[in-house]
Amino acid sequence: MTTLSLSLAVLGMPLACFVLLALAWPLRHAGRVAGWLSAGTAVASFAASAALLARVLGGQGPLTWTVPWLVHGGRTIAELGVHVDGISASMLAVVTLVAASVQVYSLGYMASEPKPDQGRYFAWHSLFIVAMGGLVLAPDLLQLFLAWELVGLCSYLLIGFYWTKPSAGRAAVKAFWVTKFADMGLLLGLVVLYGATGAFSFEQAAPDPVTTLVPALLFVGVMGKSAQVPLHIWLPDAMEGPTPVSALLHAATMVAAGVFLVVRAYPLFEAAPALLTFMAWLGAITALVAAVTAVVQDDIKKVLAYSTCSQLGYMVAALGSGSLLGGYFHLTTHAFFKALLFLGAGAAIHAVHSNSIHDMGGLWTKTRASAVLFIAGALALAGFPLFAGFFSKDLALEELAHAGHWGPLGLLLAAAGLTAFYMTRVVAIAFFGPPSEKAAHAHEAPATMLLPMAVLGLLAVGGGLSGGTLAGLWGQPYHFALTPVGIAATLVGLGGIGLGVLRYGTRSWTGDLLPGLRAFILSGPVDRFWLGAWRQGLLPVARAVGWFDRYVIDGLINLVGVAFLDAGRRVRALQTGRAQDYVLAVLLGVVAFVAWGVVGGAG
Amino acid sequence: MSLAAGPPLVAWLLLAAALFCVGVYGVLTRKNLVAILLSVELMANAVNLNLVALGRYQGELLGQAVALFGMALTVAEVGVGLAIVILVHRRRQGIDVDELSGLSG
Amino acid sequence: MSAFPWLSLVVFAPLVAALVLLFVPAGSRSTTRVVAIASTLVSLLGSLRVALGFDPAGGVQFRERYPLIESLGIALDLGVDGWGVSLLLLTSIIIFAGAFATWTLQERDKEFYILLLALVCGVFGVFVSLDLFVFFLFYEIAVLPMYLLIGIWGSTKKVAEAGPFRFLFRLLDVGGKEYAAMKLTLMLLLGSAFILLGILGMVDAAGGGSFSMEALASADLPRGLQLWAFPALWLGFGTLAGVFPFHTWSPDGHASAPTAVSMLHAGVLMKLGAFGVMRVGMVLLPEGAAAWAGVVGVVAVVNVVYGALSAMRQSDLKYIIAYSSVSHMGVVMLGAATLTVDGWNGAVFQMFAHGLMTGLFFALVGLVYERAHDREIGNMGGFAKAMPAVAVFFTIAGLSSLGMPGLAGFVAELLVFLGAWGGPMPWWALAGILGAWITAVYVLRAVRAIFWGQGPPERYTHLHDPRGPEWVALVVLAGCLILFGVAPRLILDDIDVATGEHLAPVTAVAAEQVTP
Repeated sequence: MTTLSLSLAVLGMPLACFVLLALAWPLRHAGRVAGWLSAGTAVASFAASAALLARVLGGQGPLTWTVPWLVHGGRTIAELGVHVDGISASMLAVVTLVAASVQVYSLGYMASEPKPDQGRYFAWHSLFIVAMGGLVLAPDLLQLFLAWELVGLCSYLLIGFYWTKPSAGRAAVKAFWVTKFADMGLLLGLVVLYGATGAFSFEQAAPDPVTTLVPALLFVGVMGKSAQVPLHIWLPDAMEGPTPVSALLHAATMVAAGVFLVVRAYPLFEAAPALLTFMAWLGAITALVAAVTAVVQDDIKKVLAYSTCSQLGYMVAALGSGSLLGGYFHLTTHAFFKALLFLGAGAAIHAVHSNSIHDMGGLWTKTRASAVLFIAGALALAGFPLFAGFFSKDLALEELAHAGHWGPLGLLLAAAGLTAFYMTRVVAIAFFGPPSEKAAHAHEAPATMLLPMAVLGLLAVGGGLSGGTLAGLWGQPYHFALTPVGIAATLVGLGGIGLGVLRYGTRSWTGDLLPGLRAFILSGPVDRFWLGAWRQGLLPVARAVGWFDRYVIDGLINLVGVAFLDAGRRVRALQTGRAQDYVLAVLLGVVAFVAWGVVGGAG
Repeated sequence: MSLAAGPPLVAWLLLAAALFCVGVYGVLTRKNLVAILLSVELMANAVNLNLVALGRYQGELLGQAVALFGMALTVAEVGVGLAIVILVHRRRQGIDVDELSGLSG
Repeated sequence: MSAFPWLSLVVFAPLVAALVLLFVPAGSRSTTRVVAIASTLVSLLGSLRVALGFDPAGGVQFRERYPLIESLGIALDLGVDGWGVSLLLLTSIIIFAGAFATWTLQERDKEFYILLLALVCGVFGVFVSLDLFVFFLFYEIAVLPMYLLIGIWGSTKKVAEAGPFRFLFRLLDVGGKEYAAMKLTLMLLLGSAFILLGILGMVDAAGGGSFSMEALASADLPRGLQLWAFPALWLGFGTLAGVFPFHTWSPDGHASAPTAVSMLHAGVLMKLGAFGVMRVGMVLLPEGAAAWAGVVGVVAVVNVVYGALSAMRQSDLKYIIAYSSVSHMGVVMLGAATLTVDGWNGAVFQMFAHGLMTGLFFALVGLVYERAHDREIGNMGGFAKAMPAVAVFFTIAGLSSLGMPGLAGFVAELLVFLGAWGGPMPWWALAGILGAWITAVYVLRAVRAIFWGQGPPERYTHLHDPRGPEWVALVVLAGCLILFGVAPRLILDDIDVATGEHLAPVTAVAAEQVTP
């Protein structure tokens, strides 16, 4: 198989599966068959992209294949197709690997859902793989945007999977609105870029007057999709979706699309140094704010969601420091360990039928295998030495130090400590806490769920070793070396773990540092700000405009109509209805005409 | 036939004009539909008189021909008019025109 | 060029069917439907033949010319360019679907189909006429049957009395179907008066010998005339296109009209207005267009944002869709006002895409209304359980309207925004994008309120998915939305060629004005 047909197969197989499931409703309603079909194509997709990656690692040069899509005066202005190089091949492998794991996992996790719902679930999952693959393989910004919107659609549909539940409906719509709000910036960025260059290429920087404007607008879209403060509010709510969805879309792949966009379109961003500094700061602030928020959550998925925000902040900050590899490396390892964490959380939720970590108390004794895997993921996230997250987080921090962004670096170090702390808290309460009633009858997850977790677990532990390979794909040098910054980060992480063990494990310390802060965070200040803007801003404006249209604009039109009616009513008085009056009028008319003729004739 | 025989043309025209004015006066003032119809007849005959008189003084027969044609039409008109009057009478139990103000705005 | 009169076939097949229907006994439901649908199928196949046989090199094709009044230079002169082809195709798709969407009509169905078919003949005629007199004739044929269609088969819904003009409400019976029919007809006829004024002015200035568009295009009309004739045409045609503030017939009209009429009116008739502004106003009066483009664009921006905000406030399903049409027609006019290739391509493509989308929307609203006997979305919820297919199709239509890639609406909006940034005022693009976001707000809100949530309340016991022929409209329209969203070049190439031909004189004038 050629490289091209491999890359098309990666997209084509899930697409065929989606179309089949969408059109053939008996198949979709069969449930498990649809699931196996979808999972099978996902695994096949991963196999194809692994082969693709092997080829690129083997020295295969970049490949671009496109078909024209939009024309302007007979000239093609936009194309769809695939672009295979080191970046897209490695990202594609990550995406399809996580997707395949999650699909297989879903076979077990979703088994108790009604059959037609399972079919729907797997159909959308297949669509997501197509869209995400299209995003990764995009040859230009326009296709990236297309796929970007489509993954947003999948996100909306999958968050709203339990559509009869009002909270799920609200969360789905909120996610769509917020990301679409940010996408206005992205779309405008594309428009401006096209206006300046006549194309949608991410290879070259925008020319002079819009050099900073274009990447800044693109970054607004990134803020929405990759959940940066203050547009992160949709991500915690998105946990209303089934847990595998949270693992795939809202942790590993889709939310990382923003980071991927920056990586892909880096020539544009590179030309705007002010924007890069902004990104470093914003990423660091996001990392810290989200980490602080994660500490006070009791819902295991909410903890992980805020943690995702926080880690995305690391990636954005790393990109802001000018280090593509730093951001991208962390994206890769994060995809593995965060997907693992979500799948582990899913297993726990599946076992106790509750999201609260307090209901999971004592699961260690009941579900040993998934607990071990979850703890491996937690260690990777906390940056425990030699786990995957350790290497990538270290690289990101060092690059920030290298670029001289000391402020963001400080924030990120604090966030690293908090990360270790809140993950220790979750592990301590959920697995080693006082046994809860709900956890008393918990069973270990089936093999379909454990197997994908084991695969991801291996990568979460050993994924840090891929740094050199990734760097090789980019033609950059990468050697791990423990610098003062790295040592500091490690110590902070270990300190966070220690503090967590003290506070929640051994209960030798029970004080609350800042009780007021906890209440403030739980009240959701950023959420309240946007809710205020919605309730006091957009809704009243819409109401006013609607009222104005109905009662003022339309009223004026009606007034014109009534004015004519009224004029008619007045003129009507001339019509007496007596035939003799009309005859008299005729007579006078004739006399007048004759007189006019005589006088006119005389004149 | 001598053109000079009989009264001069002006006399005929004056008579016709007087007849016409009587007709107009009747149409405008009478309340009774039959009287109005009679007045319309007077006006029509005034026109016929003009036609005949002018035709004779022009020395051609066209005037008389048209007058005859007009009389035939007038007969038809009276027929229709009287039919309407009878219908109105049947419906309204009266033929006073002031009552017939269905066109009033 | 083809010897067979394909365009006449497309245009007059519905009219012939309408005449045939006059002789069909009133009670025979199936005969009525077979005749009507057969004629729309003939039109559909005919326009497909025209679209497939259209030479991508461009120019006016499938020309037919039959002199009507030689002394005034009036002829039945038919022909299509790339714009005409795409809109012809749109019209035939919509009417084919619309004929099925009316399947369950009970009351006086024969007369309904007769009027509907006469109307469609007018629409087809406008898109293929090359003679302004005949163009205007067809335009009126398309507008007038609407009065009866809404007045007889429409529905009434009270509007709360309020506002500074509350004393007018009782006088006019605001919200009644007769009111809606009257308002629509009177406003559109007033617009027609302006159109006629503009057309006569143009013909007179060109020497008065011909109504042919080609003759007028090459007549080099005086600048003074162009400066007043263009706004006359813009307001005249613009009333039908829903240009602010002359759009208020549209929400009431579309809300009162029966399903197929709403489909056809919002889906196709509003496009007649926009097509008229572009094809007659801008192409024939380039100097007027260049001078007024700024005003047209600003008003279009108002349309986009104002229409979307108004839609947000509505709680009646039909009003939501009707206001969304006002907003989306603003996108068409915005594209037109940019006077750029991308803008014009986008404007014509948006006419096409919005026609399909809004046709689908109104077909679905008809289905929902027919089953639930309610249009207040506040009273709905959980309908997806009872009517999953309707929910899916509604979501597809909604996604197209908010510009989801993969559906036709996105292509159109993208092109318009690209054009807007290159047009006279770049900030138009921002306003357009904002409008798309507000669309996402109200469309998804409606989807959630109607289809998501708990199961249907007890009183909605008759909810069920489409049955039999009702599927046709939904499948055809949704299929086209996806097809042209994935492969826009199926029609975009033809549109692009025609845009190139039509835009050349306008850009020449605009360039002259910049460098006098």
